[in-house]
Amino acid sequence: MPFTAKSGKFNASINTLTIGTGDKAITLGGENVLPFYTFDAPIENAPKVGIEITDGGLDAEPDCIKACYEGCTSVVDMAKKAAGFEGVDFLSLRLEGGDPNGLNKSTEELIAIVKEVAAAVDLPLVISGCKNVEKDAELLTKAAEALEGRNALILPAKEENYKTVGAAAGLAYKQVVGAESSVDINLAKQLNVLLTQLGVNPQSIAMNVGTASAGYGFEYVISTIDRVKAAALSQGDATLQMPIITPVASEVWGVKETMASEADMPEWGPVEERGIDMEIETAAADLVSGSNAVILRHPASVATISKMIKELV
Amino acid sequence: MGKFVVIGERLSTTAPIINKAFTERDPEPILKRAKQQLDAGATYLDVNIGPAESDGEDLMKWAVQLLQSEFDNVPLALDTANMKAIEAGISVYNRAKGKPIVNSADASGRIGYLDLAAANDAICIALCNGEGIAKDNDERMMYCQTLLERGMEHGMEAEDIWFDPLFLVVKGMQDKQMQILECIKMFSDMGLNSTGGLSNNSNGMPKTIRPIMDSALVAMAMMQGLTSAIVNPNDLRLMETIKSCDVFKGNTLYADSYLEI
Repeated sequence: MPFTAKSGKFNASINTLTIGTGDKAITLGGENVLPFYTFDAPIENAPKVGIEITDGGLDAEPDCIKACYEGCTSVVDMAKKAAGFEGVDFLSLRLEGGDPNGLNKSTEELIAIVKEVAAAVDLPLVISGCKNVEKDAELLTKAAEALEGRNALILPAKEENYKTVGAAAGLAYKQVVGAESSVDINLAKQLNVLLTQLGVNPQSIAMNVGTASAGYGFEYVISTIDRVKAAALSQGDATLQMPIITPVASEVWGVKETMASEADMPEWGPVEERGIDMEIETAAADLVSGSNAVILRHPASVATISKMIKELV
Repeated sequence: MGKFVVIGERLSTTAPIINKAFTERDPEPILKRAKQQLDAGATYLDVNIGPAESDGEDLMKWAVQLLQSEFDNVPLALDTANMKAIEAGISVYNRAKGKPIVNSADASGRIGYLDLAAANDAICIALCNGEGIAKDNDERMMYCQTLLERGMEHGMEAEDIWFDPLFLVVKGMQDKQMQILECIKMFSDMGLNSTGGLSNNSNGMPKTIRPIMDSALVAMAMMQGLTSAIVNPNDLRLMETIKSCDVFKGNTLYADSYLEI
């Protein structure tokens, strides 16, 4: 009997989600196969790579990244430069300075930056909050308003503030809502159900189901992404068919492997190389588990991961 | 495994209001009941037009088109003793949301329904019964083999034959209940799909008791591997039980709002 290979494509597929507008808009999802399984069925929308800057500008960056933005004097300068790096599909602006336990910048001050950056680049935008749920509710609502018409991804709507963030981003200003659950697969599903019940179109939701740097509880991240994709595709669970976006940069550049100087840890080698390696390893693993997009910080990581995706899809 | 497939049983000529609506081609009562069932979580709707000897073909076409145009190509089980009416229904059926189900074949006079399903790439409910009620599971499994072979000879995939053990009424046949459950396990061990008119078990019982009996039986039957049932989806207790069992079986991922989806 001749051998007939059986296609591993599923009857269900991941939702198709567009971020941004015009020629630069990106589309995530749409696949009905496991990540990179192009031999089972074509993957129309390859995973996308974003580059992240923060409201803190150069001051907030490690030395090796500062060097990549030589000559920039403002966040807007950085945004323009970042948009030109090889492999960048979208720009992520993280408003970490809003954290009341940190710099506690005012919402007005941060939204002014959001507006300037949005005016300076035509790439699709991801706006991330400061990790404080109350401040984020206010901040992200204003960001959604300021970016009306840009079809930006507003991240994160969490269990504690999904009503405010979901209503502003998903309903009032027609942005894409990023639902964040921290490696809790049941919560990932629940949050999507709640946002949908609020009236947000399921086709306008992306998920961050959890993130970590490789080596830091990362196996939980991977198993969570794996199980979300399995439920979405093999069980046809419509409440988990939202594309996954994984912020990598904000985790990777805060661990000792990327921060300890070469003087302190000579056996670990040059700090920049380590940082890039950690970022690439983490992002590659996220992508092969099923992330539809990753957010990175070092231009070299962006270029490498982008090349990896092009080779595989 | 996928989620348990609930086939809503409430569009049937056994209900006088639906019988009248079918006869008079009155959409309103039919659409109302269809919506109630779908809102409650039915996946398929059974369309039982009775014997429909005179105008079955016309009626089934009308019903299929009415329901599918109103409810985004809702998948349907076509249920009548008139085979031509089933074929007519399939001829206008849209498969976007699932194959049609032919309801039903048995191992005796209605074995030809399998041929009809095969010829039309439909799912077929296969009642493991011949003449009279099977005396034991040896007999049921013999019918199961006969039906399986017949379907496969005609080119059907085994997964498209949904075996029905024939649920029996407790009042009168209490001693047969465990046999039925064991039969379901045999289907399941063979990797076969199964379904049936589960609420038959509680026929003749008080209205307040039936949801309790039906829920208990569906839980036990799902444990044994039952993959579908033809039931009243507007029985809240029953639907809550099915959704909870789907969670325990890993057929769907738990979320706090699981009863609402």
